[in-house]
Amino acid sequence: MSFRDELGKKLLFFDGAMGTMLQERGLQSGELPEIWNVTKEDVICDIHRQYLKAGCDIVKANTFGVNPFKMKGTGYTCEQLTPKGIEIAKRAIKESGRNAYAALDIGSLGKLLEPLGDLAFEEAYEAFKPMCIAGEQAGADLCLIETMNDTYEIKAAVLAAKENTNLPIVVTMVFDEDGKLLTGADMEAAVAMLEGLKVDALGLNCGFGPDIMRKFLPRLRKVCSLPIVLNPNAGLPVVVDGKTSFHVGAEEFSGIMKEIALEGVSVMGGCCGTTPAHIQALVKECHEIPAMALTDKQRSVVSSYTHAVVLDERPKIIGERINPTGKSRFKQALRENDLEYIYKEALAQQDKGAHILDVNVGLPEIDEVQMMRDVVTGLQGITDLPLQIDTSDPVAMETAMRLYNGKPLLNSVNGKQESMDAVFPLAAKYGGMIVCLTLDENGIPDTAAGRIEIAEKIIAEAAKYGIGKKDLLIDTLTMTISTGQENASITLEALHYVRHVLGVHTTLGVSNISFGLPQRERVNTAFFTVALSQGLSAGIINPNSEAMMAAYHSYCALNGSDSQCADYIARYSGQEGQPKTVSAKTTEISLFDAVVRGLAESAYQAAKKELETQKPLEVIDGTLIPALDKVGQGFEKKTVFLPQLLMSADAAKAGFAAIKEHLQSQGTASSSKGTIVIATVKGDIHDIGKNIVKVLLENYGFDVIDLGKDVPPEKVVETAREHQVKLVGLSALMTTTVANMEETIKLLKQELPMCKVMVGGAVLTQTYADMIGADFYSKDAMGSVRYANELFQG
Amino acid sequence: MFTRQMSAPGGKTGIMRADRKETLRYLGYRGQEIETQIMQLIEEAATELERSSTPKSIYREYECQVTPDKVKLGSLEIESKNLAVNLKGCERAVLLAATIGRAADFMIKKYSISNMAKAAVVQAAGAACIESYVDEVEAVIREDAGKRGLYLRPRFSPGYGDFALDYQKEIFQILECNKRIGVTLTEGNLMMPSKSVTAIIGLTTKERESCQMEKCSLCVKTDCEFRIHNAAAEGEKDEF
Repeated sequence: MSFRDELGKKLLFFDGAMGTMLQERGLQSGELPEIWNVTKEDVICDIHRQYLKAGCDIVKANTFGVNPFKMKGTGYTCEQLTPKGIEIAKRAIKESGRNAYAALDIGSLGKLLEPLGDLAFEEAYEAFKPMCIAGEQAGADLCLIETMNDTYEIKAAVLAAKENTNLPIVVTMVFDEDGKLLTGADMEAAVAMLEGLKVDALGLNCGFGPDIMRKFLPRLRKVCSLPIVLNPNAGLPVVVDGKTSFHVGAEEFSGIMKEIALEGVSVMGGCCGTTPAHIQALVKECHEIPAMALTDKQRSVVSSYTHAVVLDERPKIIGERINPTGKSRFKQALRENDLEYIYKEALAQQDKGAHILDVNVGLPEIDEVQMMRDVVTGLQGITDLPLQIDTSDPVAMETAMRLYNGKPLLNSVNGKQESMDAVFPLAAKYGGMIVCLTLDENGIPDTAAGRIEIAEKIIAEAAKYGIGKKDLLIDTLTMTISTGQENASITLEALHYVRHVLGVHTTLGVSNISFGLPQRERVNTAFFTVALSQGLSAGIINPNSEAMMAAYHSYCALNGSDSQCADYIARYSGQEGQPKTVSAKTTEISLFDAVVRGLAESAYQAAKKELETQKPLEVIDGTLIPALDKVGQGFEKKTVFLPQLLMSADAAKAGFAAIKEHLQSQGTASSSKGTIVIATVKGDIHDIGKNIVKVLLENYGFDVIDLGKDVPPEKVVETAREHQVKLVGLSALMTTTVANMEETIKLLKQELPMCKVMVGGAVLTQTYADMIGADFYSKDAMGSVRYANELFQG
Repeated sequence: MFTRQMSAPGGKTGIMRADRKETLRYLGYRGQEIETQIMQLIEEAATELERSSTPKSIYREYECQVTPDKVKLGSLEIESKNLAVNLKGCERAVLLAATIGRAADFMIKKYSISNMAKAAVVQAAGAACIESYVDEVEAVIREDAGKRGLYLRPRFSPGYGDFALDYQKEIFQILECNKRIGVTLTEGNLMMPSKSVTAIIGLTTKERESCQMEKCSLCVKTDCEFRIHNAAAEGEKDEF
């Protein structure tokens, strides 16, 4: 029998704590327990033996804390401690004569991943990889990824185990009292991602005792189709005199665990504070109880790093705005690598109520794979909505799926064999729901029956990869009625059949219906409403269209999915039924005043108005810059304080956006005073100060290349050279990272002696700045603007 | 003995607060006229942050030995004259780590794209929040210490004076910060989530001995906005 054969079929038992046992035997707090694999091998083996004697089926090898980061400076390596740990566990099992399994135990790296932290996803993957390989080679029977609190790190570990070994994978996580991971991910999100990645079992460990953990289980059982593992602590940790102890005894522990086993679970054991006595009592109480029956919960679900979005009776909105098709401003943003523009589109759609965001960043002249990588990573730092990865390039799709922290929606596969051969293997490996277009080698069928036939073909092909109907979202393709009025009914007939006869969820790119017609929104909203009533599960629309969102909310009230019309009422009560127009009040105010008072929308409108009578340069030099100067001087004289300055900066930015649009409509490029490279130095991750400087420099007409935070000196030099910039701005917050600032300046001065360097940041002083060779010390954001202006005028 | 792991004393909607005056101070407020929309912005940002933060802490108490340039705290040995001065006369000390969670960092990232003023306000409100939360945790420690006739010294963190940031690594291992409260260290020993604190708090039997040392007096940044303002602020506080 192998672990996979037994898992889910009978109740299996993990062992209990290793750390607790080692502390009793003299392990000091702060000492790495895994070093004992080498120095006190017999102690480790004896602990395994005791657990096996107590009756456990799986021993966790003493490898939990092994990883390249923790090994640094210890004199030991992962390749040494991991196999050793497995060997000891195997030896104990062999000596016990029992049919038990040795689990390669993998814990957190103790590092926070990007975008918040400084560890790249692939670096995390690389850190887990050697442990997985060494563990399997040493004879591990399964890989247990445990005590995890970040889905992204879990994904890196799971992929490392999946791609480099054939080991069954079990993942257990630590949820807090709200049922959330420390990253804010709820249980449903974690389950969606892990089922997508096809782990063998998942569950909970550490954090709480069995009593509190028990309360989470109904929620977990409701959404999870996989075997469930439960390894609680012996209660909450209590630390006395620097030593941790746990107070739930073996009897109490096994008593609650028995109740849990009767309610349904697949594998049980213990975490911190549990001892062979706990496990012995547990096995004694529970060994005759059968494992929980496994059922497929049939959930059609995608997830982000915080939450899951379920396709159900309540239709969902997929925001379509992150897409360059037919949008010159968006194309320009892609060409200029202006990711901020893309991120703003994301935030705007989220504000308007989108549930999922489509992400299409393909343009023939750019590197789509790189752009997809940057945008997906960036979006995950600013929005918690699930993403729909929209690309026809399988490499870009796989890149995005790998880096995606959750279970994505893929856009798309179609009935062409080539397309299915490319997309389904990716979906099978990484997990995801898939938009399926009902077209194939012969094009788009002009009958509902033809489209339904392709839908059936796609469903059958997906099944070969183990991808069920629940993970498909069929698009019966919207064609404009301006070229054939029967188009709407073909699409809708097929849609109705797919949803109600085939029982598969549906999607449409709604607005295609009106292509070539005037006043498109009128047709779009009517078609959207009809499609919803025919069974549209998720509409790909522009959430910024108030009319479309109104149609959506009205429909949800009508079909009963908006219970008691609560959302509808919350949204529309107290609003006048007037179409929204620009009120007189916002246009009344002058551009100058709008900037000074920090009113972005007014500034945008006022700038547009001024552009009717003035040249762009006159608007900039005559109004925008003087307004900014006024606020900036106020800031320096301390009559204006920081938020006011920044609100004005944002307002000015809106003004500049109007000018940029104006120039673009005339086919001219906006002028720039010059290019400046800015970066937060290596080792430093606090970059809000640098971001403030960026906004202000841009306001004053500079092109700013922002390298972000934690930037190595070489990267700064390389970029400065490539763009031949006259000025580099560096920020550092900590005393310790000022050393890296100095190093960066040294390298810049050596490689590019003509380039000036300005510095700023919390710990810097004029003296300090002089000492490390900076050309200018800016004590606040306005200082950098002044210096840049002087430098580029001179 | 009463030392423990805590998450958000008083529950998630507990007392941890972005004190509005403190938030203003961190924003460099010096008594300027504030428009209502700025006050609204601060209120919005601070409320959102308070609602979405997940404060957690862990602390342990140890015996400590203090020599003029060295402090020994359980298995942790720290070479720092400033810390030694701070802990002088203490026989016990608490090692503490606390965080308000990742919400602040996410909000700062998000608003840096859509509303820079709000990003700056969240940054300041986050600083106020973590201070307020650590004060709360400290109050629990104080209450417990009081029962044993012990008084608290002001908390002292790695990075203050000559207490090197390198000690963060060991402190993180001892307190199991990642596992217990979800705080991690970067290569450069900075904490993520950024609104986190580690500190040592001395426990002394003598009330008020060498107490209330101003943190500012140890800082190398003598031209700091806050240092200048700190002194001036006392007189202004009531006007707002």
